[in-house]
Amino acid sequence: MKKVLQILFALSIVFPIGFLVVLSLGRNWPYPEVLPQSLSLENWSFLQQSDSELWLTFLLSLLISIIVATATTALAFVTSKQLAQSKYRNKLMLLAYIPYVLSPVILAATLQFYFIYASLSGSVAGVLLAQFFIAYPFAVIILNNFWNRKIRSMEELSRTLGSSSWQTLKKVLIPVSKNALLLCFFQTFLISWFEFGLTNLIGVGSVQTLTVKVFSYVNEANIFYAALASCLLIAPPMILIWLNKKYIFATETVI
Amino acid sequence: MDALLDIKNITKSFGTEKVLDNVTFQLAEHEVLSVLGKSGSGKTTLLKILAGLEREDSGEITLSRKRMNDTLPNKRNIVYLYQEPLLFPHLNIEENVAFGLRIRKQPKEQITAKVAEMLEEIGLSEHARKMPHQLSGGQRQRVSFARALVINPKVLLLDEPFGALDSETRTQMQQLFKRVSAKYRLTSLFITHDLKEALIMGDHIGKIEKGVFKKYKSQEEFYNDETSGVRQEAEFWKQFNP
Repeated sequence: MKKVLQILFALSIVFPIGFLVVLSLGRNWPYPEVLPQSLSLENWSFLQQSDSELWLTFLLSLLISIIVATATTALAFVTSKQLAQSKYRNKLMLLAYIPYVLSPVILAATLQFYFIYASLSGSVAGVLLAQFFIAYPFAVIILNNFWNRKIRSMEELSRTLGSSSWQTLKKVLIPVSKNALLLCFFQTFLISWFEFGLTNLIGVGSVQTLTVKVFSYVNEANIFYAALASCLLIAPPMILIWLNKKYIFATETVI
Repeated sequence: MDALLDIKNITKSFGTEKVLDNVTFQLAEHEVLSVLGKSGSGKTTLLKILAGLEREDSGEITLSRKRMNDTLPNKRNIVYLYQEPLLFPHLNIEENVAFGLRIRKQPKEQITAKVAEMLEEIGLSEHARKMPHQLSGGQRQRVSFARALVINPKVLLLDEPFGALDSETRTQMQQLFKRVSAKYRLTSLFITHDLKEALIMGDHIGKIEKGVFKKYKSQEEFYNDETSGVRQEAEFWKQFNP
């Protein structure tokens, strides 16, 4: 029973990824065949075609996610510190969950008018701002627990040892919070990277991220290109998981 | 002897609760003042105000005849040590001790020499390259002490520094503090709730209760004060050796 469950667990993870790779290599898949009739690298050569723009889409998605993750992590670090010291900490933290209750699409629909009004609709800046609205509270939630009594005492001790606020931030708080910051960066990167509804609504088709592209291929019933774009879509998260495991959990320090 | 630290009428309230009520006392240079205080007596608030980490509502703090009320914590040269050692986990022992010297941008050779001397003093030279989590609780507290001493603070504030240690390590730490304190001629305020520790550590004894501070002129005065609890403690031990 134990072994069956282990195999089932492993299959549930590996099968969709494996099948995605097979589909990206597939040609001709008539109903009711279980697998495509032939496999080749022809779909992947689409990446090199000048009119495919898939690499550009990939790079644009990467740029958007890196900017969103960096900005939200940095701002959430400062915000969560202030919230942690506030006597309204619990009430303010409850507010951070509200964007999730609304769901990103509803949030985008609510804000769309203002994005059009500010000429941000259909622009990369608009998508960045919209994704920021979703990722920022999440980042605050992640970092909020970092600011405990011990970190506060360490900060105070550093000040009495002669550090200015800036030196304390640079030499104590940031190094000590390295793991929390990386975790926050990874999580917000993933939120941005896989975001579809909100990006589609605010980007109005002009800003083509990889997720938007996958859905567009699916809508065109182009299952092989959709699989190819999906392979590109899962590559960065897989690299992040590997980095996470190798560097964060391996170097966890005892405070 | 001239007062190094002069505290006048320090008052502090949190909301409607008065935590410190006109605290006034002086600390002479090279004096170790033990202060007895229970939880919630206002002792930590007092130390934080002296260190510049908390703002007093009224009163005056003078250090070396200079008003300190508006001076930032990093400019006071008053180090506040907590019950926990709070070593920086990303730095090794040597780097932890060197922290304050590096902040002051002292020459490298000087830092190396001072850190080596301090590690020798606390008997941890062979652990210089270890990370904090590789040391025992007592060893970590010694490093914390060395990290503060190495910058030669004008006043050292110790908030129940040995409170979390077992009795044997605590005794060792008390001896170490006494020895180092005499050698470096420290001026310090030593907070404890342990009567015996207060008597061992301090040149003078004070007491803080419900925000009211009292400094005793002598150990006799302390002994004769009904509220100090020292008589009851002495009576308790006398019954085993009548």
